Amino acid sequence: MPDQDATSLSFKLVYYGPAQSGKTTNLLRLHDLLSPELKGEVMTMETKDDRTLFFDLLPLGFRAPSGLLIKLRLFTVPGQVAHDGTRKAVLSRADGIVFVADSDSAQETNNGEAFQSMADNCHRVGLDFEHIPLVVQFNKRDLPSAVPEAEVRERWEAAPWPLCFAVALRGEGVASTFEALLRALYRHHAEALGLAREHGISENAFVAGMLGQTGTPA
Amino acid sequence: MSAADFDREWHLGELFDATMLARVGPPLAELLDGDLAILDRNGELLWGLAAPDARREALVLELEPAGFLASSAASQVRLHAAGRMFTALLRAEARYRMASALHLEAVTQDFETLKLEHVRLLASEARYRKLSEELEARVKAQVADLEARQQMLYQAEKFASVGQLAAGMAHEINNPLGFVSSNLGTFKLYLDKFTALRDRLAEGEAAWHNLDLDFVLEDGVDLLADCSSGLGRIARIVADLKSFSHVDRPPEERADLNACLQHAVSVAGNPLPAGVALRTELHPLPPLSCNPGHLNQVFFSLIRNGMQAIQDAGRPGAVCIDSAADASGITIRIADNGVGMSPAQLERAFEPFYTTRSVGAGTGLGLSTARNIVLAHHGRIAIDSTPGAGTTVSLFFPNTP
Repeated sequence: MPDQDATSLSFKLVYYGPAQSGKTTNLLRLHDLLSPELKGEVMTMETKDDRTLFFDLLPLGFRAPSGLLIKLRLFTVPGQVAHDGTRKAVLSRADGIVFVADSDSAQETNNGEAFQSMADNCHRVGLDFEHIPLVVQFNKRDLPSAVPEAEVRERWEAAPWPLCFAVALRGEGVASTFEALLRALYRHHAEALGLAREHGISENAFVAGMLGQTGTPA
Repeated sequence: MSAADFDREWHLGELFDATMLARVGPPLAELLDGDLAILDRNGELLWGLAAPDARREALVLELEPAGFLASSAASQVRLHAAGRMFTALLRAEARYRMASALHLEAVTQDFETLKLEHVRLLASEARYRKLSEELEARVKAQVADLEARQQMLYQAEKFASVGQLAAGMAHEINNPLGFVSSNLGTFKLYLDKFTALRDRLAEGEAAWHNLDLDFVLEDGVDLLADCSSGLGRIARIVADLKSFSHVDRPPEERADLNACLQHAVSVAGNPLPAGVALRTELHPLPPLSCNPGHLNQVFFSLIRNGMQAIQDAGRPGAVCIDSAADASGITIRIADNGVGMSPAQLERAFEPFYTTRSVGAGTGLGLSTARNIVLAHHGRIAIDSTPGAGTTVSLFFPNTP
């Protein structure tokens, strides 16, 4: 459940995925692309050869008509297999997840293993994997060796999660992935938190507030 | 979110303790014209003195102020610059704290995982322990079963030997019994002639000749001598059997193995099959503390094997039994020039239940039993064999004190 007090509401969102699938790149591009009312700096914890060792953190926020400050804190997990303990700790208390898969056909096994580890780790840290808001992003669509989109869609047809396609390095599909997660997040929590009723925020307003757009986003 | 979680929003009060503030505060205050207060995110004074009208500079780590700098003397520009510097310090501290808190959480997670793994391993160990106990119990039961069966087979082998012995003995005893009985019948007829003589005494010497009593007398004596020798043979057989089985002796005693060998030879050689000869070359032996009944069984069984090997070869041959003693012990060799054994047969010769004979003809326990008995006497048994040329079984018994 998100952290809530009288004046603010804080969601923790986690970008999960195999090593070097582009989780940190997603965060960096979001920082550039989004313009919500409040936007912090990307806090990048210790890296080694540009690989995340601990996590990255991007804070975003906007104020609801009711005066409630709604905060999102976006984290990335370290993708390398060796850091599973850290991955579990970062995943703890997540309210939503973006799974960033590598489209490279050579990475299919890694994707599968990472997805399985995510499901396992959710259970281990007490998250309800069946119901947690989750979006699956296939990144690096520009790779010549990328698995064709039709094939990816066919394979994930039976899965309940929204599928997104991205080239995070060029910023393509990054915001739409984030928007898909925001919508899933809103639908999952709006009722319990009284977002529409008490704070006057509709789903579209929620999305628009976080993306930093006025009016209804496309 | 608990106070230990790495991903909580940190505030100035927990990032900088009093010592740290006392170190950072004075130089910063000097830069701000000697007037500075450091406040926590809720406005609580942490260091310095705050005038009520002091200007505040928010220190933002993420989105909201984690604390404030307050000064009434410093210009807005200077206060803002000090705030940026202080934020950089706070951010560095926050990064360090988050990393260590995360590290601690990760280690705890790994430890929890290890504990789970440990519990799982304990469970699996318990399962295997139980399985191994069950297996052990089953192995024990099967070993007991096998031992019981083996015992039965040993018994069967004993009975088979006894049966073979009994058949031989019956033949040997029947033979003299037959002629003693026949002789006694004839002798009764001779006595009838003397009854007839009593009625014809009046005829005098003519009756004596007429009844051919010279011959009757002479032949009667021969008949009785035959009977006597027949009974002697039976008595000797019974004596052999008695000493062979040692029915009337304690199991462990000091015995002369030559005597045992002679007994075995005399029992095995009765009857002696056609074409088989038994030769002995026995040298004086020191007495050996042993169970002569069991050793008789060994010798008998080895001699019988030799005889059978000769019969199997289908040509005449001999079983030679020799004994000798030296300082270390007694050596006995039982050699035949029969069919011999192939290397494969030789290799399995001592295996219980291994037999080259047809089903029912041999239990395959003769040599196995022999070896057990020899081992029980701390002895050794070895077989040398050449297919078609014969087999030599060597026994060695170390001297007993």
